[in-house]
Amino acid sequence: MGYQFTKAEAERMFEKWGSQYDVFAPKLMEGEGCFSDTDVVRYGKVTSLDEIVWDRKSDYSLKEVLLAINETLFYFTEDKTTVPEGPQKDILIFLRSCDLCAVQRLDEIYLKNGYEDFYYARVRKRVKFILMGCKTSCASGFCVSMGTNQARQYDAYVKVDNTQKVVYADIKDKVLKAFVEGGKEIEVTPDYVTENVEKVNLPKNLSNKSFENTIWQEYGDRCIGCGRCNFACPTCTCFTMQDIFYKENAKVGERRRVWASCQVDGYTDMAGGHSYRKTQGERLRFKVMHKIYDFEKRFGYPMCVGCGRCDDICPEYISFSNCVNRLTKEEAEHEK
Amino acid sequence: MGMDINTKKLKKNAFRVSKERGIGASRIRVPGGYLDAKILGMVQEIAETYGNGYVHLTTRQGFEIEGIHLEDMEQINQKLQPIIEMLEINQTDPNTGYPASGTRNISACIGNNVCPFANYNTAKLAKRIEKEVFPNDLHFKIACTGCSNDCAKVRMHDFGIIGMTLPQYDPGRCVNCQACVKGCKSLSVNALRVENYKIVRDEEKCIGCGVCITKCPTRALTRSKKKYYKLTIMGRSGKKNPRLGEDFLVWADEDNIVKIICNTYRFVEKYISPSAPARKEHVGYIIDRVGFEEYKKWALEGVELLPETIVKECVYWSGIHFD
Amino acid sequence: MKNEYIPQLSTIKEVIRHTDVEYTFRMEFTGEVKPGQFFEVSIPKFGEAPISVSGIGDGTVDLTIRRVGKVTNEIFETYVGEQLYLRGPYGNGFDLSEYKGKELVVIAGGTGLSPVKGVVDYFAKHPKEAKKVTLIAGFKSFNDILFREDFAWWEKEIEVIQTVDNAPDGYLGNTGMVTKYIPDLQLADIENTAFICVGPPVMIKFTVMEILKLQVPEKNIWVSHERKMCCGLGKCGHCKIGATYICLDGPVFNYVEGKELLD
Repeated sequence: MGYQFTKAEAERMFEKWGSQYDVFAPKLMEGEGCFSDTDVVRYGKVTSLDEIVWDRKSDYSLKEVLLAINETLFYFTEDKTTVPEGPQKDILIFLRSCDLCAVQRLDEIYLKNGYEDFYYARVRKRVKFILMGCKTSCASGFCVSMGTNQARQYDAYVKVDNTQKVVYADIKDKVLKAFVEGGKEIEVTPDYVTENVEKVNLPKNLSNKSFENTIWQEYGDRCIGCGRCNFACPTCTCFTMQDIFYKENAKVGERRRVWASCQVDGYTDMAGGHSYRKTQGERLRFKVMHKIYDFEKRFGYPMCVGCGRCDDICPEYISFSNCVNRLTKEEAEHEK
Repeated sequence: MGMDINTKKLKKNAFRVSKERGIGASRIRVPGGYLDAKILGMVQEIAETYGNGYVHLTTRQGFEIEGIHLEDMEQINQKLQPIIEMLEINQTDPNTGYPASGTRNISACIGNNVCPFANYNTAKLAKRIEKEVFPNDLHFKIACTGCSNDCAKVRMHDFGIIGMTLPQYDPGRCVNCQACVKGCKSLSVNALRVENYKIVRDEEKCIGCGVCITKCPTRALTRSKKKYYKLTIMGRSGKKNPRLGEDFLVWADEDNIVKIICNTYRFVEKYISPSAPARKEHVGYIIDRVGFEEYKKWALEGVELLPETIVKECVYWSGIHFD
Repeated sequence: MKNEYIPQLSTIKEVIRHTDVEYTFRMEFTGEVKPGQFFEVSIPKFGEAPISVSGIGDGTVDLTIRRVGKVTNEIFETYVGEQLYLRGPYGNGFDLSEYKGKELVVIAGGTGLSPVKGVVDYFAKHPKEAKKVTLIAGFKSFNDILFREDFAWWEKEIEVIQTVDNAPDGYLGNTGMVTKYIPDLQLADIENTAFICVGPPVMIKFTVMEILKLQVPEKNIWVSHERKMCCGLGKCGHCKIGATYICLDGPVFNYVEGKELLD
């Protein structure tokens, strides 16, 4: 159902949501950017609509709400394991269309693909999604190319008007709707973009032959293997296990899983010293192929949602979208 | 008709006597080396109207307009007026040029307006210090640099201000990629290590350069909200005993640094040798004469340092001795 | 909902020492398990390591562990009567029905023998279920030979060629790489012969090349891939090659599929 609220009405509704849910949204973390006097926009708990960053894309994605960067799997004492409690409250996540499409990818890996993941599932089932529309395209995104520009699986849609005086909402979820007071019922359809500046054509016929393309080495020579592209990506899901024992009491410790990057040294290291994909070129190829080819081969749709965060965050100005377009062009030429 | 010029007055007015009789140069100070590009056009106009069309970019980030006729000084001062105003230089009387030249232009590296490594806005601090200390005939050289790379060579100054940041670590965001550890080791002082998959910072070793923060891919390491500075003192070049400035304060704040610089002017007023030619005895030599202990007493007068600021009990300089 | 990450304590029933750095731990385990599957073995505070099943007994599984890292080092400090944490088994393992009624050649290099040992055990116990079984097992040197006691009884039931890469003068056994013994295999019906090849990546590469020279169809060859399998659950991503998760879809692959798995 669509509504038009005054800002005050919307804030009151938001407050009520807040009493029932932990609300996560893109938030300005002042001074926490990479460089001096720069900020970063990433997910955090918010208590009002004003705290949400509406006018730019978050630098890091929503995935850190669903998938903690460091997740304690269990604590162990001498012969006992104890699993920490899950979230205390239900969760609302404000997110854009690309990120909502990314959730489908996260679910694919963490709820399906062999086993259901206990930790992801217990958070995921408590989450409702609130869509933030995109009136205009961000500079680096290519959601239209990836078909992720319009997400319909939202529980509610909220838009704060430019004037900051009017709030539009489309509330589909019954529980969220119950908090509505006042407002005017009107037709509301989420804003979404139909064209991006960046356009990406996915290659049609990739195979192991594509390994031979010189593009990988070329980009690999530029890549510093920092993993920013993976950490900012809403669809990257890899982690590494860590066992920790406490300094104060060696009998007690915990097992964690921590985000991992296929671009960073050590990702494929096996005990005994053997490792695979030693060069950055091979790692970059692995990542790009996974995002646009391998995942699709397994699950039927591409992994990349075209949010463009990897382009924005790369300190070496490696552009995923440019890389994919070049690959498409060159692979097509090879076929001729 | 012979020229009758008070060269002492001329020098204080930021002009220079040159090798060629009757010809001098006009010196323009640019605090922090940061200026509206329009000023370049004004400098060009003066150089083409009154000079020989050439300008020297000084080592202290000012301009020196060459080949001016000393009899044109008054007119040049008129022309300098908009430059002085745009750069907000303290002035006694408008249209009379610069009121002093002893305290040199406060120079700075490009700072965090542009540079990814810089820990603060160096030009802004340079300007603030300029406002506090200028005009003054006492010979002081002060410079600001954004980080421990010290691109501004502040250790060759009486006062050097080096930007620092205190790394803030959120272990919950750390993925143990060790980019910070590698960065600190290869680019800085190797103050980081890994313990239980998390980063441990050796507080004694850390110089607050911020390299680890720029390397962190997840924002587990961020800058402190508070900006910190290292104050190095009494570096100098020169004929007697050139030497690098030594650390006086580490993890200091901006206000106290400004206060200490101002206090040092009072110290010099008190102790400068009465026989110093044109009151030109460098502060470093004065401290050499009266002792660091006495200087420190004056410098820290009324200064309430942050609890985290480290004050060096005693400072020793080395350098080259020619005497 | 089951929390797959929680390991269960399992008692070490017996420790069999093969070399200074390779021991077999006979672990208490009841449940279904196939040769070629693997367990995540852990010691709290030191971490987990994927270890393949090297033998299946009554209420036990054998885990042959090479002392190569933090976890395995620590496991070596733990002995009989002590306990290790296990979760699994994971992976597909070998499907014995693929080899029954055929000629079977198992070629293993070093610790590569562990994952396939269950297959050898089975056919050595039930030699009639295959037409002929040959094991070619290569080790670096005499001191690196694993499962000596098993070789002793296997030799009575199946064809066994044990070889070492390097040997001092006067060594009586076979020497040279496993590949050396492939051309001389006496096989009645190539079309109906199955090959299993397990070992380090380089060994697999050259062994398969040699097997193919015998005009063996690719579909008759099985390989087992080793990767860093961190979770065993298709989640952590470390073992993924292309669209394949080794921990879920492998580690055993028919060569037709296995040859496409390139890093």
